[in-house]
Amino acid sequence: MTGRRLGLVVLLLAAPALAEIKIGVYGPFTGGSAGMGVSMRNGVEMAAEEINKAGGILGQPVVLVMRDDEAKNERGAQIMQEFLEKEKVVAVLGPINTGVADNSTRYANEKKVPVIINASAGAKVNEYFAPGVENYIFRIAASDILQTELVVREAIDVRKYKKPALICDDTNYGQGGCTKLKAALTKRNMTPVSVGKFKIKDTDMTAQVQEAKAAGADVLLVYGIGPELAALANSLDRIGWKVDMLGGWTISMEAFIKNAGKNGNGAAAPLTFIEGDLSNPRQKTFVETYHVKYNQNPIAVAVAAAQGYDSLYLLKAAIDQAKSTDGTKIKEALENLKSGFSGITGSYKRPFTPTDHEAVTELVVKMGVVLNGTVVPEAAYKK
Amino acid sequence: MQTLQLLISGVAQGMIYALVAFGYNITFATSKTLNFSLGNFLMLGGVVGFILYMTHNWPFFAALAAVVLVGMVGGAVLLKVAVEPSLNQRSAYGWILATLAVGIVLRNAAEVFWSTDDFKFRSPLGDSPWRFFGEPQPDGSMSGGLGVYPQEVLIIFVSLAIVAAVELFKRRTVFGKAVVAVSEDKDTASLMGIDQKFVILFSFMLSTAIATVGGVLVAPITLVSATMGTVLGVKAYSASIIGGLESGFGVVVGGLFLGVSESLTARFVSTGYKDVPGFVVLVLLLLFKPSGLFGRAAIRKV
Repeated sequence: MTGRRLGLVVLLLAAPALAEIKIGVYGPFTGGSAGMGVSMRNGVEMAAEEINKAGGILGQPVVLVMRDDEAKNERGAQIMQEFLEKEKVVAVLGPINTGVADNSTRYANEKKVPVIINASAGAKVNEYFAPGVENYIFRIAASDILQTELVVREAIDVRKYKKPALICDDTNYGQGGCTKLKAALTKRNMTPVSVGKFKIKDTDMTAQVQEAKAAGADVLLVYGIGPELAALANSLDRIGWKVDMLGGWTISMEAFIKNAGKNGNGAAAPLTFIEGDLSNPRQKTFVETYHVKYNQNPIAVAVAAAQGYDSLYLLKAAIDQAKSTDGTKIKEALENLKSGFSGITGSYKRPFTPTDHEAVTELVVKMGVVLNGTVVPEAAYKK
Repeated sequence: MQTLQLLISGVAQGMIYALVAFGYNITFATSKTLNFSLGNFLMLGGVVGFILYMTHNWPFFAALAAVVLVGMVGGAVLLKVAVEPSLNQRSAYGWILATLAVGIVLRNAAEVFWSTDDFKFRSPLGDSPWRFFGEPQPDGSMSGGLGVYPQEVLIIFVSLAIVAAVELFKRRTVFGKAVVAVSEDKDTASLMGIDQKFVILFSFMLSTAIATVGGVLVAPITLVSATMGTVLGVKAYSASIIGGLESGFGVVVGGLFLGVSESLTARFVSTGYKDVPGFVVLVLLLLFKPSGLFGRAAIRKV
C-alpha cells in the first residue's frame, strides 16, 4: 500500500510540470557592454511576449531563461553549461562579446542545441564547419568580415579616398576588426598610411589623430566601442581636423552618439537596423512599443534590440516548421526554412543553408550616418 | 604646433593625476597610511556631481558644494570603518585591503544604484575648444591650429590652487603646523597637546574631498561612469611614487611627468606604448631612489 503510493508520487514528480518551451538568453546586462546586452535582451523579451499572446510556439508558452555573463568569458562558459545541463533549454540566443561566444558555443554544439548569435560580430560561426562535425551555431548579425568589407568599400570604392588610416582599440574585437580592415584593403592593393591603437577608457586621442593626420590620411577607419569612439571624434574637433570617420556598427551605440555630440555628425557604419529609417509598419510598431515599454527614446542600441527581436522569431519559424523541439530537427529546419524569414532587420529568402550559417548579407545592410543625436540613412544625411 | 598641442593635452592629463596623487600625499603625511580607494572617491564625486548638476539641474556651485560635503563625510566614514580598526589591532597592513575594499564597494554601488553606462558631463565653461593659430575657413569656422578646452585650463588652475592652498595652510597656520607635527612624530605631537586623532580625521576628510572635487573637474573631459576612477587611481599612485609621497609639489611634478610622457610617447613612438616610459621610470626610481624624486629619507615600504 505505502509502496504503491510512493510510486505514484514519484511518477507525478517525474512528469513535467507544464509543457513549455525554454530558451536561454545570455549577454552582458551589467558593466561596460551593458547597453548592447540590455537592448538585445529587451528585443528578445518583446518578441516572447508577442508570441505568447498569440498562442506560443506549437501551442506551448515560451519561457526565457536570462543570465548576465558580465562580458566575462568564463561566465559565458558556466552559463552555457547551466542552460544545457540544468535548464535543458531548447535553444540559446545571445551573446554580445566575441570572447564570451567563442568560450561557450562549443558546449551547445556538442549537445546538439542550436545557438542563434544575435549581436556578436566577431564570434565563430561558419568556422565550426568541419568534415564529420555538425554545426549548431547560427548568426543573425552582420559579421565583422562583412562589416569591414562594407566599410572599406564605402571609403575606397564609393567615396574614392586613397589614404586610409586605421585606429582600433586593443581588445579582441578591435584588433580582430583591424586585421580584417587591412585584409579588405589588401584586396584593393592598398595599405593603411598609419595604424593607431587605444585602450578602453582612454579619453584623449590627440596623439592617435595627429599621427593619422601627419601620415597624410584622407579618411579614418575605426574599430572600437561607443565611449572611446566618441573620444576619437572629440579629439578630431580639438585638433581642428575635418575628416570622414567610418567604422563598425558600434558607431550606432548611444554611448557614441551622446558623448560625441555634434562631433559625431557624419560618422558612418554598416547597420542592419536604423531607427530613423522605418520603411514598414512592423518596424514602426517595434520602435514605438519599445519606446513606451522601456521608457527609452531613442533605443540605446537599436541594432542589438532589432536583432534580438528577430532572433526569437527566426527560432519560432524553425520550430514551427520542424513541429518539434528536438535540437537536430530545429537545426535542419533553420538550414532549410521553406517560407523564408521576414523580420524587422530585413527579409531573408533563405536565411541559412547547410553550409552557410550567416543570415545577414550585404542585401540587408545599409550605411547609417550619425546626425544630430540619431542615426539616419546615408541618403537622408546628404540632404 | 603639433608638439605644443600634445604638451597641452599632457599637462592637462598630468594635473588630473597630480590632484589625485596629492590626496595620497595628504593622508600619508599624517598617518603613514594610503587611501587606495581614492580613485573611486573621484568617481563618487563625478557621479554625485553628474546626478545633481546634469540630472537635477542644480546650479554648478551648489552641486560642487554638495560633492565636497559627500567627499568629507565619505573620508570620515572610510577612516572609521576601514583604517582605524586595522590600526587599532596593530595589524600593520590591514588598511591596504580595507581601503581597496571600500573602493570596490563604491564602484559596485554606483553600478547597481546608478548606471553602468558612460555619460557626458557638460562643462560649465562650454564644451567647444578655444582655437588658436587656426586658418579661417570660408564658412567662418577655424581649421587646424591649437585646440584647448576651457575645462582643461580650469583643471590646471584649480589643481595648482588646491595644492598651493594646502601647502600654505600647513606652513602658515597653527592648525597646519599641528598637521605637520603629527606627520613628523605622532607621539611627541600628542604629548604637546595636539589631538592627533582629529588631525588624522581631518587629513582623510581633506584628501577625499579633494578627490571628489577632482571627479567633478575631470568629468567633462573623461565622461562619467562607475569605472572612471579605476585607471586614474593607479596612474595617480604611480605619479605620487615618482614625485615622492612626502612632497606636495613633488606629486605635481610626478603627475606632469606621467601625463606629458604619455602623450609624447603615443605620438612619436607608438600609441600602443604610451604607458611604458612612465612605468619604466617608476621601476627605476623604486630601484635607485625609493623615496621618489622629491622625497626625503627612506619611506616605509607599502
